[in-house]
Amino acid sequence: MLCCCGALRAADDTNGVAVRQTLVRAILTEGAEQQKLLNDLAVPDSGVKIVAEVLTAWSREGVFIFPAPDGSKVPVLLEDQLDGDGKARALKVSDGQPLKDEKGAELRFASSDLNGAEADARLRGVIRQTLDSLALSDPNPEARQSAALKLGNSQKLKYVPVMQARMAKETSPAVRKTLMEAVQLLQLGSPDSATQLAAVKELAELRSIGCLDELKKLAAKPGLPPDLALAASKAVQSIEDHIKFVNFFGTIFHGVSMGSILLVVALGLAITFGLMGIINMAHGEMIAVGAYTCYVVQNIFGSGFGFAITLPFSWGGKAISFGARIGGLNAAGALYESYFLFAIPLSFVMAALAGLLIERVVIRFLYRRPLESLLATWGVSLVMQQCFRMVFGANNVQVNSPAWLQGHFSVNDILFGYNRVFVIGFAIAIVFGTWLLLTKTPLGLLIRAVMQNRSMAASLGVRTARVDMMTFAFGSGLAGLAGAFLSQIGNVGPSLGQTYIVDSFMTVVLGGVGSIVGTVCSAFGIGTVDQTLQQTTGSPVTGKIIVLVAIIMFLQWKPGGLFSARSRSLD
Amino acid sequence: MAVVALLLLVVLPCLNRFPAPGSFLHVSDFQINLYGKYLCYAILAVGVDMLWGYTNLLSLGQALFFSLGGYMMGMYLMRMIGDLGQYHQPIPDFLVFLGWSKLPEFWRPFSSFPFAMLMAFALPGALAALFGFLAFRSRIRGVYFSILTQALTYAAWLLFFRNSLLMGGNNGFTDFKFILGYDLRTPRTQLVLYMITAAALILVYLGCRWLTRTKFGLVQQAIKTSENRVLFSGYAAGNYKLFVFVICSLIAALGGVLYVPQVGIINPSEMGTERSLEAVVWVAVGGRGTLIGPILGAVGVNALRSWITRAYPDLWQLMLGTLIIIVTVFMPKGIAGVPGQLSALGRRWKSRPETAPAVDPSQEPAAK
Repeated sequence: MLCCCGALRAADDTNGVAVRQTLVRAILTEGAEQQKLLNDLAVPDSGVKIVAEVLTAWSREGVFIFPAPDGSKVPVLLEDQLDGDGKARALKVSDGQPLKDEKGAELRFASSDLNGAEADARLRGVIRQTLDSLALSDPNPEARQSAALKLGNSQKLKYVPVMQARMAKETSPAVRKTLMEAVQLLQLGSPDSATQLAAVKELAELRSIGCLDELKKLAAKPGLPPDLALAASKAVQSIEDHIKFVNFFGTIFHGVSMGSILLVVALGLAITFGLMGIINMAHGEMIAVGAYTCYVVQNIFGSGFGFAITLPFSWGGKAISFGARIGGLNAAGALYESYFLFAIPLSFVMAALAGLLIERVVIRFLYRRPLESLLATWGVSLVMQQCFRMVFGANNVQVNSPAWLQGHFSVNDILFGYNRVFVIGFAIAIVFGTWLLLTKTPLGLLIRAVMQNRSMAASLGVRTARVDMMTFAFGSGLAGLAGAFLSQIGNVGPSLGQTYIVDSFMTVVLGGVGSIVGTVCSAFGIGTVDQTLQQTTGSPVTGKIIVLVAIIMFLQWKPGGLFSARSRSLD
Repeated sequence: MAVVALLLLVVLPCLNRFPAPGSFLHVSDFQINLYGKYLCYAILAVGVDMLWGYTNLLSLGQALFFSLGGYMMGMYLMRMIGDLGQYHQPIPDFLVFLGWSKLPEFWRPFSSFPFAMLMAFALPGALAALFGFLAFRSRIRGVYFSILTQALTYAAWLLFFRNSLLMGGNNGFTDFKFILGYDLRTPRTQLVLYMITAAALILVYLGCRWLTRTKFGLVQQAIKTSENRVLFSGYAAGNYKLFVFVICSLIAALGGVLYVPQVGIINPSEMGTERSLEAVVWVAVGGRGTLIGPILGAVGVNALRSWITRAYPDLWQLMLGTLIIIVTVFMPKGIAGVPGQLSALGRRWKSRPETAPAVDPSQEPAAK
């Protein structure tokens, strides 16, 4: 009620006034005219909120009639806020202003002081119907859409005229389509078979997925006129074909977005593997570093981030504990939503720094022993996972997607989530950036030289250790970026990296070591095939197993992967 | 080694049987059981070392072969529960839970112990032979081999988590009661199992020692040093590797077969790639390329694990990770290599005055 009064006061545009006048007339008249006015109110030009609030109050007997001194009747609403005597200000329905006496002092009433506007059961029914239809005029297109769906499924033919009236005013094509479907869906239940036939044909034309069940029911009904039955089964067929089409492209889209993430993860791995011939088992933890960076940045933009670790043993009788706290910016609105823009570069930087540290501390001692480096990096990954657990807790943490990454748009019924579209776009940008780095910069030249022939490059004065370090940091940074995306799509937990590590290894091996083109192809290939198999076999596990076995078999045929680098060296 | 064998096979069981409980020398039933488990791990570790330490094949699939052996043993043990399960049905509980009223066909022969044992070795062996044949034929080696075995293990791990495989799903097999008519829950049976495990370990050790000292072992170590030279010398390196790979899968399966009745549970988590990596860590800690090293490593690391997970449960992963890093970076030959490292260090220390006379730093580049 409080918010309703807020709405009453806030709305003072001209259209609001017109709607308010209609409301006053509806409250004060009776019978057929009242019903007509209420039907008009179902599809108002504006002021949806006011109408909804007043009608809700009315159906709960919260609208009162104030007998004005001049003999006219003034419908009012009482504010929720009561004073000491249990009385409240009265707001006029006609303009939302408080009721005043001739001296300009605000009048105050208790609900027992005034007569309520009458609302019997029949009137309440009409009001409810108006309220239901009112949602069709909500300013938010998605709310309008869901209202249309709800009414369409109500199986009440009486909503048809309301929806047709709304359709004439509707501007959003998506909502128009939903309204159209809803109207046809209601008309399927019409007693007149000609209307039904028209509705069936219309629905087949619209390829309305939501109406498939109703159409199937209709087609299965005994005793239909033959032309209607034929049309219904044809409509079912065409909609089912459409669903197949939508699912097919939906799966491809999911596969491509999945492949994009794999790509960003595997790209870093492919470069470090191609360059140094070692597999970094802690690469998955670099993903987690990126994801947790997003989490920390989000909290810094919010209420701050802090952690405290107490070691499980004591030193000289005192428990050892340490922690840190970073104050929050308490940002709100657009600034808070923009946290992700800051988080993306930071996650790259943090993961790159972590990679740099690992390279300097562990890996550089093991360049000549690739199998040991695999083991050592696994040790690093265990240590890092435990550190994540100690700092962020063993449970998953919540990273909120900024508003501009939520939601989706649909083309021809295929849903495209903004976050997935963003990931795909960003992956393309990253591949392009990596390609630029490798082919157009001095560092890239050095990287390629060391990749092709380490000793030759070294003897020509390339500081290979430095190149290794930079490359390793770059590869880790790419994993960090992948982590930033993953935080928008899935859960962020200490073992986040483990989920992707086997897949990304397979991507690298399948693509051919050190080949960017190969990695791109195999990432999208694995992503799409994986998603398709998950859809067709109905189980994520079976799909994954088939993919793994297929990759092993593929390597029989091409042991070097899709695009293996030509080399004369044997090892 | 003879001393270790005596200790494991005779002294420990005697200490369990004869001194009174509470005595300083007494080894409790619990400890016997624990050592039994460690020795199973040691068997696995010897297999890993034969591959990694002697042939330079880092297989991340050894835990898979280990658990496959364990699962086959588990199937037999599940059949031996009879109708003593919670549902008092003649079929294993989890099958009742999944809605089966009679035994699936492939479970039927597992009531027979010899068949279960045959499968426990035939299945991992066949899988290793198939995978190894394909992998070595296309000359997959080094890190590639590790990644592919990891993928194989990962796929199997996913598979065994599924209930529809009818292998117990997530929970695996547990609640075993009898083996060959003996009650598994009595200390006596456990002691016998321990002794069988110790004997098996010693046999595996001796077998591997013999193998590494034959001509075959020479080729094997030549492959480790330079596979290409072996190929150029006319040896089919792939066949040698395949043979070792299959042998080691059988050794791992043996460990699994003995592991399950002693630990009393087998589930897919035994199969993960982390388990394979852990086994590699035992070898690395103990010392690769020696046969006693893996045994020391497996027992030592697992004893450490038991202690730390009880005392500081949160820190085990941290410790293990740090241990791995330290061992791989500073102790490439593991514990067994420490004496050698120390003596090398000592030699350097002694010979330091002769080879490194006090050099003026400014002249150093010229000296080079």
